[in-house]
Amino acid sequence: MAQLGSDVFFSTIGELNARLVAKEISAVELARAFVERLQQLGPRYNALVLSLKQEAIRQAEAVDKEIKRGRLHGPLQGIPYGVKDLLSYAGQPTTWGAKPYAAQVFDYNATVIDRLDGAGAVITGKLSMVELAGGGGYRYASASLTGPGLNPWDRTRWSGGSSSGPAAAVAAGLVTFAIGSETSGSIITPASFCGVTALRPTYGLVSRHGAMALSWTLDKLGPFAHSAEDCGMILQVIAGKDSSDPGSAGRSFYYTPQYARPLKELKIGYAPGDFTDRAEPSARAAFDAALAVFKAAGAQLTGVQWPQFPYGPVLSTILAGEEASIFEPLITSGNVDQLADKSQIAGLKAALDLPAKDYLRAMRIRRLIQHAFSNDVFTQVDALLAPGRSGPAPKIDQPLAPPPGATPAAPPTPTPPPAGLAGIIPAGNLAGLPALVVPCGLAENLPVALQIVGAPFSENLLLSIGKEFQARTDWHKRRPPGA
Amino acid sequence: MKVSRRQVTAAVLVGQAIRLSAAPEAPDAELQAARDRLKTNAQALSAVSVPRDTEPAFQFKA
Repeated sequence: MAQLGSDVFFSTIGELNARLVAKEISAVELARAFVERLQQLGPRYNALVLSLKQEAIRQAEAVDKEIKRGRLHGPLQGIPYGVKDLLSYAGQPTTWGAKPYAAQVFDYNATVIDRLDGAGAVITGKLSMVELAGGGGYRYASASLTGPGLNPWDRTRWSGGSSSGPAAAVAAGLVTFAIGSETSGSIITPASFCGVTALRPTYGLVSRHGAMALSWTLDKLGPFAHSAEDCGMILQVIAGKDSSDPGSAGRSFYYTPQYARPLKELKIGYAPGDFTDRAEPSARAAFDAALAVFKAAGAQLTGVQWPQFPYGPVLSTILAGEEASIFEPLITSGNVDQLADKSQIAGLKAALDLPAKDYLRAMRIRRLIQHAFSNDVFTQVDALLAPGRSGPAPKIDQPLAPPPGATPAAPPTPTPPPAGLAGIIPAGNLAGLPALVVPCGLAENLPVALQIVGAPFSENLLLSIGKEFQARTDWHKRRPPGA
Repeated sequence: MKVSRRQVTAAVLVGQAIRLSAAPEAPDAELQAARDRLKTNAQALSAVSVPRDTEPAFQFKA
């Protein structure tokens, strides 16, 4: 068997699978190498919660037998991956990143894990997250059972959250891909800060069964990987109807790059100010260069009529209502006080006071938002383009929200409309829209990224845009220093 | 005063119900700030015109 070089840790799914099928390397060799790397380097970034070494070797042995018999199950066969620790794995702790649940064990697998197992992928570990996916609102990066997620590009910086471990593990080459989740920003943010490609699918496309619920109507599971193409291959495996998930859209997904429309045929909505005045100064050059790639490819970048709604307050209200119900036992028992972040504790407690009328009003406005995106936005453009985040990752000890008492007074009514595509993260999540994050450059030697947002179930379009961008750039192949 | 076993049982159940429904008291700046944020959010939502026939974005099916 060939000696495994360090390149293997940053290879794409296609590259690794080709070597496995050609029997250049064995699945067991690959699993051992990745498990050891995850065990050794995962703690460096507070990315690893639990190594699943025995399971990985067992699964890899089964893969090698299948490959030897010529039974090939697709590109994910033999590929090592990790999962955010809000996904249940039978017989092993699933901590939800939170002290009150540190010893929690389920006796079943999350559906996405079963699907990946069926495709021959090899699970190597549970990866870290912000406690309870940060739903109560957290002020510091340390809001986690495993401590702050550290960025592989600079460990004095935050990896982002709440899918801290998945993003850091892919960026540092500790897994080939990972599964994370997003309620509002928890895939977009860490992918942007860690410089990895990631996909937030349409709500309901991927089963939530076996995943911690933070918000029944906002939660989505999605892949972190080394390329848009890898995300497409992963989504094909994990997507699909699941009767165990009441929110399942009942639709499958087939990754069809052969039908991709080139960028020159597409109309992409954006707000120039998002990449200039409203971007952090250090990131503007990178964003400018990224936009130039789109223009050089012939994409029609155009302004778009952006529906004016208070996206943040609508999402926060819906989230508060649902998380209060989900975590009511935690809150009323007092165990909520064991959480690491005081702002998170307070947010969850306060959420119990939310009047039903407020939740319902937010859900009615949500229907107006969905209608506006379907009938106004995506009739004008094929997709939307915005920065993933306005700049690079913050320092670990930098507050992520203002301290109590520093909250500004309620804005004057009528509220002035937000500038540009501000609010695209809550807006996209409220409307259940898919989004692809692609790294697009460096600012202060740290990654910055773009997000491409589409209509419901337009993942193939987003992936084709991402794939073409990644054919013209190499940001997605860059590695953290020393990796 | 004689208290029946039924009355004792009822009192215990009521006490349990009260404990389960009340959040632990934590009157501090963080909690007040969180409550204020909910109120600010509610104000923002009340400024949005919602047509009367707009239903919530979820459906119940029998």
